[in-house]
Amino acid sequence: MTFITKLITISASLVWAASVNADDLSLYKSLGEKAGIERIITHTLDLSFTDPRTEKQFTHTKKARLIGLITDQICELTGGPCTYKGLTMKKGHIKLGTTEREFNALVEQLQAAMEAEKVPYRMQNKLLALLAPMKADIVER
Amino acid sequence: MKYLKIVVTFFCIFSVSSPGVSDPIFGSSKLLATAGVVQLEGAAGSGLTTWAVISGYGSNREIGANAHYTLAMTQDYSLNAVGARFGFFDRIELSLTRQYFDTGEAGAALGLGEGFNFNQDIIGLKIRMFGDAVYAQNSWLPQVAVGVQYKKADKTAIINAIGGKDDDDFDYYFSATKVLLEHSLVLTGTTRLTRANQFGLLGFGGDKSSSHSVQFEGSIAYLLSKNIVLGVDLRTKPDNLGFAKEEDSWATYAVWLPNKNFSVTAAYVDLGDIALHKNQRGFYLSLQMGF
Repeated sequence: MTFITKLITISASLVWAASVNADDLSLYKSLGEKAGIERIITHTLDLSFTDPRTEKQFTHTKKARLIGLITDQICELTGGPCTYKGLTMKKGHIKLGTTEREFNALVEQLQAAMEAEKVPYRMQNKLLALLAPMKADIVER
Repeated sequence: MKYLKIVVTFFCIFSVSSPGVSDPIFGSSKLLATAGVVQLEGAAGSGLTTWAVISGYGSNREIGANAHYTLAMTQDYSLNAVGARFGFFDRIELSLTRQYFDTGEAGAALGLGEGFNFNQDIIGLKIRMFGDAVYAQNSWLPQVAVGVQYKKADKTAIINAIGGKDDDDFDYYFSATKVLLEHSLVLTGTTRLTRANQFGLLGFGGDKSSSHSVQFEGSIAYLLSKNIVLGVDLRTKPDNLGFAKEEDSWATYAVWLPNKNFSVTAAYVDLGDIALHKNQRGFYLSLQMGF
């Protein structure tokens, strides 16, 4: 086998491995539908409200209301039967001065919560892919 | 050994100052695996490929640092490398590496003497120009970085004898990295302007060709799980020396990252012919520590 053939074979098998993951199970279902999303968000925010890296951003936040809002938002984003009624990400984070460090910490809290709910890793990444662009509207506004 | 001491001292200093409560400047807030590991010349990347990411887990207000030890063994040769690299504010990366290339028994066959060593020091600077590899998931725009590596090989007389023009030179590169979270993939393409013979260990330029040429580095990495990344690397190399043909290289690797402070990369590498010894293949192991 030539050098290039070998590379193509290996690359193709990696891409194949990545695409087989695109099974029929929808993201919404693999998050455990609305109830599962609510558990994940509750767990995430339990961490956010106590983690020294993020707690000061939440001192004036009503946790239960925020859980409801984010649950609806993710439910809707992942194709579930919900409607997010909160502010846009840009408006919701104005003057909070959220840092990259705080944002990254929240992503790690979300990852920990999804792991606790046994959401498969590739599905975790699919959700993060949907949420990631929000960073531009949230960080350092 | 001197290098190792410097690296260890460095870590003692920084590990003391890193933990803190109110936004410490030495921090590790970037997400796991998004800083890549270390590539052959000491920059952030995968084994053979330079990535556009900035080393370390420091975000835009933090400084990160790493030390690494790398070992590659083929049938006839072995390469050891030790170095450190620093990431400043997720914008600038500075790296220092020393490579020890042991010719083993091949050294005797080449008339250099058994265990003859070619060594090289590499100082690298990388600047992230634009783009956000991880978070700009709604766009195809990759993260783009440019870099320069100054390389200084130590066996000037031998390098000249085999047709090499210089014992030191600059490599310039342009790198683009994109994380496709939807598919758990990290893609990188890098073009490098270089005239290094065997990465610089056998000097720069040669009797066959003495000018810089454009070479390619590419990498596909699959984020298999939170702590394991699988990937493949390919890298083309110039062929400047008349006495021995130089070939392209590739590697397939697995990285284990139990946390942000430690990672192990194991790879199977094929470096092609090296100094008249055919099809140099073998394993590659790289350990890194940092934050």
